[in-house]
Amino acid sequence: MATTDERLPIVGEGDIVRARQRAREIAKGLGFGLVDQSRIATAVSELTRNVVRYATGGKGDVSIKSLSGSGIEIVVSDHGPGIADVEQALRDGFSSGAGMGMGLPGAKRLMDEMHVDSELGSGTTVTIRKWRR
Amino acid sequence: MARVPVIRLGATLIATVLEDLQDSDALDLQENLSAALERTGAEGVLLDISVVETVDSFLGRLLNDVAAAARLLGAVTVVVGVQPAVAITLVELGLGLSGVHTALTVEKGMALLERLLASARRQGRYGNY
Amino acid sequence: MDRLSRSELAAEAEQQRQTISELQTPVIQVWEGVLALPIVGVLDTSRTQQTTEALLDKIVDTSSEIVILDITGVPVVDTAVAKHLLEMVTAARLLGCEVLLVGISARIAMTLVHLGLDLSGVTTRTTLAKGLELAFRRLGLEVVSRRGDGRANGGGEDER
Repeated sequence: MATTDERLPIVGEGDIVRARQRAREIAKGLGFGLVDQSRIATAVSELTRNVVRYATGGKGDVSIKSLSGSGIEIVVSDHGPGIADVEQALRDGFSSGAGMGMGLPGAKRLMDEMHVDSELGSGTTVTIRKWRR
Repeated sequence: MARVPVIRLGATLIATVLEDLQDSDALDLQENLSAALERTGAEGVLLDISVVETVDSFLGRLLNDVAAAARLLGAVTVVVGVQPAVAITLVELGLGLSGVHTALTVEKGMALLERLLASARRQGRYGNY
Repeated sequence: MDRLSRSELAAEAEQQRQTISELQTPVIQVWEGVLALPIVGVLDTSRTQQTTEALLDKIVDTSSEIVILDITGVPVVDTAVAKHLLEMVTAARLLGCEVLLVGISARIAMTLVHLGLDLSGVTTRTTLAKGLELAFRRLGLEVVSRRGDGRANGGGEDER
């Protein structure tokens, strides 16, 4: 069972689909059921779209890895402008319908864990994890 | 680039998604459907997403927007083929797609469209869809 | 004396877990196109997810269009439970099903009103029998008594 990091670049819109499809495949391989596969793929879609739409130059990368074979961890990072107020983005980024924070609350709801590391002017790294039940 | 074929069957436009859609494909679909509705005056739209495994907030909102634009153009929209895993995920995202009618299969979707259009005609063309 | 290996024990435990899960979330096909789901006990996030999954799979398997959700056996309906019920309703709707919520007591009705929740999109009835009657009507069916005493009554005291 391979536990090596899988790293995918986020350069354009096509990478949103590529990343979420890959995440789904890996989740399936780890034994996640259909619904969890959907949750994981959707969360990855939300986060990578954020990068494509709002990160400066729209570039970043996604890394997907297994957590001791019973969980999945995905890290989406970019060197965009960063999120000014992460708390606020998590609260109402969803309803405001625009800006870097959109997609974060959605991803958080779908995953077991989410950590956001963001520094203005430097970039954002979002880590999400889910465990098999 | 994935295209979504739109065919016309009587007063209904049927759009079948054949593969995972990129954002721009989804936006093209919205444009194509609106243009087709204006051009043909069709009263019903059947959107088949049974092969779609991932519906995120972007696509979810787009489906609502397609139905809203169709309504303004005098047509009712039925989305068919929402997979169980997709339904559960959408609900957890907080998107109930309340602006859209849904049915399990294309067959049921067509039957639903017939009922909705028949009832709209009885109430007068400008009834609420 | 047999000693079960670790993997056999794990398999047995998994089988038991599945059985318990199935017993807790019985989705019954009461008529062609009509499913009934009695919910008994506390409805927490985990049970809601399991129940919803079972319900949606059954909707697909049976091609059903109506789901009667019976909450007679739910002891407490607070904001969390109400939210879970609405999630179940929304998910079933996405698969083209109409959901009828039955088993609402006077107490629950008042609680829901006090909570200020918008349940205008959900059709409700007090009993399973009334829900079934409504389901039949939706499908264009009618239950007729052969005893010559007029239409059959589902068992409810008052006609409303």
